[in-house]
Amino acid sequence: MSELERTLLRRLRDRDERAFRELVTEHRDRVYNISYRMLGNRHEAEDVAQEVFIAVFKTIDQFREESKFSTWLYRVTVNHCKNRIKYLARRHDRDRDELDEMSAVANNATNGAPVRAAQPDRALEGAQMEELLHDAIKSLDDDHRIVVVLRDVEDLSIEEICVITDLPDGTVKSRLHRARLALRKKLQRHV
Amino acid sequence: MTAEPEATDDDEIISTLSDYLDGALAADRKAEVEAKLASDPAWKRTHDELRETRDALSGLQKMRPSVTFTETVTEKIHKRSAGRFFARRTFGDRVPFTALLVVAVLGLVVIAYVMWASQTGSLKVDHGGSGARGSEHLVTPP
Repeated sequence: MSELERTLLRRLRDRDERAFRELVTEHRDRVYNISYRMLGNRHEAEDVAQEVFIAVFKTIDQFREESKFSTWLYRVTVNHCKNRIKYLARRHDRDRDELDEMSAVANNATNGAPVRAAQPDRALEGAQMEELLHDAIKSLDDDHRIVVVLRDVEDLSIEEICVITDLPDGTVKSRLHRARLALRKKLQRHV
Repeated sequence: MTAEPEATDDDEIISTLSDYLDGALAADRKAEVEAKLASDPAWKRTHDELRETRDALSGLQKMRPSVTFTETVTEKIHKRSAGRFFARRTFGDRVPFTALLVVAVLGLVVIAYVMWASQTGSLKVDHGGSGARGSEHLVTPP
């Protein structure tokens, strides 16, 4: 852990609002992206990402600096996403999620997400592939989705994923293989 | 918790190639896989498909939260804790520095004017010896 990170943590433990803002600014994109890929819905992802930062701020004293701060943060993120998935399943909100995704392209424009529109055909192809991948990830079961999002979308190491998910190396690898196999089957005709 | 199904031959290939793509194989095993990729079209095809899938996943758009994200989450903390969660803000945190500067300059101007306008103010310039004239009218007590 860098000295800069230690200083930031010390300030966070002192309940320094500016430190909190710095923390959010530094990590919000990644926390949001993980949440979005896990939940498949912009609104839910935004809400969960906010709850993650609130939880981190409230429980910062429990972080014992045994791992990287970001690893702990992603662990909190994954746990929040799992809880939200369970909650949404109970609320039968899946249908609403699908409707939200139909307007994802429009949302992208208003939320500043990059749109590759230099060549319309390629942009359309890219958007279709994006949607296809998004649906493929969404169709995985939660345990497989977590590892594939952390490894292949977020490019985290297997060791880090083991800490985040609290799973042994073999289980993470096995789930990753199965997730990739499932995705390969779904995308075989398109990739 | 997901139950891990029985592994098949195809699963074995996938898991080996998956480890290969992750750079998680020992040198001798890696050499074996590379030899297999060079000689076996099925392995090569599976490898290419897996790599393409992985590349497509890593190339997914990085989604970003709304521009008001930081403000919203900070505000949520303020609301939920009724302002007690963050350490008490200093006066300088709550009032912008420019506003403080303007008030300070205005204050100095007012003080300077009062001192200048006052009969006894130290900024009042005495041009005609009014003090001396004044002293002429002083009544000496008996």
